Amino acid sequence: MDTTPVTILTGFLGAGKTTLLNRILTEEHGLRIAVIENEFGEIGIDHELVINADEELFEMNNGCICCTVRGDLIRILGSLMKRKDKFDHILIETTGLADPGPVVQTFFVDDELKSKLHVNGVVTLVDAKHVLAHLEDSSEVREQIAFADVLLLNKCDLVEPEELHRLERRIRAMNALTEIHRTTNAAIEISRIIHIGGFNLDRATEVDPHFLEPESHVDEHGHEHHDHEHDEQITSVGIQNDGDCDGKKLNDWLSTLVREQGADIFRMKGVFSLKGNPDRVIFQGVHMIIDAANGGPWGKRPRRNSLVFIGRNLDRAELEKGFQSCLV
Amino acid sequence: MTELGPLMASDNILDLSWSPDGALLAITPSTGETLIIAEDGRVHERRPEHGLGNGKPAWFQGELVTCGFDGKIRFSVGRECAPGRGLIDRVRTSPDGLLLAAGQGKDLHVFDKSYRATSPFPPVSSAVMDFAWNPANSSEIAIVGAGGARMWRLGGQEPYARFDWGGASLAVDWSSCGRWLVTADQTPSVHIYDFSRDYPLHIQGYEAKVLAMDFSSDGKRLATGGGPVVTVWPCVGVTGPEGVTPIQLDGHDGDVIAAEFSPATDQLATGDGTGALLIFTFQAKQVLRKRMRRDAGIAALAWHPSKPVLAVGQSDGRVSLLSLEASTCTPRETR
Repeated sequence: MDTTPVTILTGFLGAGKTTLLNRILTEEHGLRIAVIENEFGEIGIDHELVINADEELFEMNNGCICCTVRGDLIRILGSLMKRKDKFDHILIETTGLADPGPVVQTFFVDDELKSKLHVNGVVTLVDAKHVLAHLEDSSEVREQIAFADVLLLNKCDLVEPEELHRLERRIRAMNALTEIHRTTNAAIEISRIIHIGGFNLDRATEVDPHFLEPESHVDEHGHEHHDHEHDEQITSVGIQNDGDCDGKKLNDWLSTLVREQGADIFRMKGVFSLKGNPDRVIFQGVHMIIDAANGGPWGKRPRRNSLVFIGRNLDRAELEKGFQSCLV
Repeated sequence: MTELGPLMASDNILDLSWSPDGALLAITPSTGETLIIAEDGRVHERRPEHGLGNGKPAWFQGELVTCGFDGKIRFSVGRECAPGRGLIDRVRTSPDGLLLAAGQGKDLHVFDKSYRATSPFPPVSSAVMDFAWNPANSSEIAIVGAGGARMWRLGGQEPYARFDWGGASLAVDWSSCGRWLVTADQTPSVHIYDFSRDYPLHIQGYEAKVLAMDFSSDGKRLATGGGPVVTVWPCVGVTGPEGVTPIQLDGHDGDVIAAEFSPATDQLATGDGTGALLIFTFQAKQVLRKRMRRDAGIAALAWHPSKPVLAVGQSDGRVSLLSLEASTCTPRETR
């Protein structure tokens, strides 16, 4: 890709975003990175390009999140892209109250930004010690988890392993696609933040089949139970099915789905087998925005459709039924 | 046509700004020193860059006031302030020359002629994307951002007018008569607001986001560039552009980046990212067009306040001054 990658860094106040940013800015990675900082977290480094910007926060009482973009970012990034000295990477640090949706959508909606930038991924930091309290109170925290391509479960040194394990399971139930790392002081190899490819349709969208199964656990008698300990409003629904799809029906179903439920669908990724097409077709979406690309030949791989939805109030049965209707 | 230059700045030309008397031209690159040159091309003064990048300056009290991504405003050498947190990407002088405004985050700072900051109204609800003084009333200012446009009077606690829209408006301009306000939107559209009727028009159909717009000096025409075609709307009569077929001017190869009407001759200059520069002269029944090609994309244009001299800024940092005469334009069919 010739466009400049953008990583969106999100997470509740105190989760460790500034610590992570300081790490990135002081490491010898050889990259020229511009940072747009909304949290005013007082990065303690005299870095050549840390831009403070007052974040746009949207109150979506009656409006539609699906059309919302960050106009302030359009202006700032438009200005950065005109400069002679180009950047290797751009990091946008949002505040703890931010909804990542409008930030991500900005890069898909604005043609000027789309031609010069691409979203590398969303990195969410979670304070392992305090997140449980925030999960109950804050829809923003839940959405930040739902949008994450990479999730740093930070401050793990303050939490017992069993509790960490339960927390991971709960996060996984919300977001089946995210890569979770347990960290202390946000210590992580920078390559895991800089080279995510979370929105890169050229990458194979491989989803661990385990994550496509409904959550369950086995009790001491060997019986399986579904885990209903937490009634999560945000969940992941994974569907896997062999066979070919009718391209038109699939397109119609997805279009109708995002039109009617786009506000509740945070992320969607899918690999599809279309009748008569020797190549994999990859879709990804954020709210109402869908992007599609050719994923290369199936080759010797089984022609298996797999898709994952991450969102609010998802009805697994309805989604499965809708997808089944697209099969030839 | 005669040409002076090119002069070379250090980066893409962010802004060109003539002093009100036309004696000096400020050349502001995206990064690097701001140059102030005389009409003959001599460098009159160099201003240090703002760390992290420059914003668009303004002439105030006879001096160039600069601003930038460092969140600072420099009134002159040795006199600067940092009014708040966050970058400042432009400052604008009131029509009567007595006040200077600067947008920073959700704040619009206003400075008086003694360089004192005033707080003429409370912080606005969304980040200030752009703002414009009412040319017909120096106590009124329009602020645009997410949700449309809000019009404020200095000292007011609430906007005296508002035009609501679900998306973000990114740029604003106000006609000289004060009747028309135009905003360029996040989508390929503009909103044109008619204060005489309290009436908003949402005009869609542009090929791309509108990156350039300007009212003619008499306020009767509005030129907009969203894509390679320049669309000129009539802003006259009871209903203005509503229901009217605009003049559409072709000739660009790429998206129009800059559009400026000459205060002296009412010619329209437009430039695109491929380097095509067009000068249009509006006559009773036709529009004459002169087409020129520069060797880099056009980034900024500025007409001299009283002469047919056009400053042309390019994406590679070059600036030229073109002296133009209307008779050198070729008649073109308009569509």
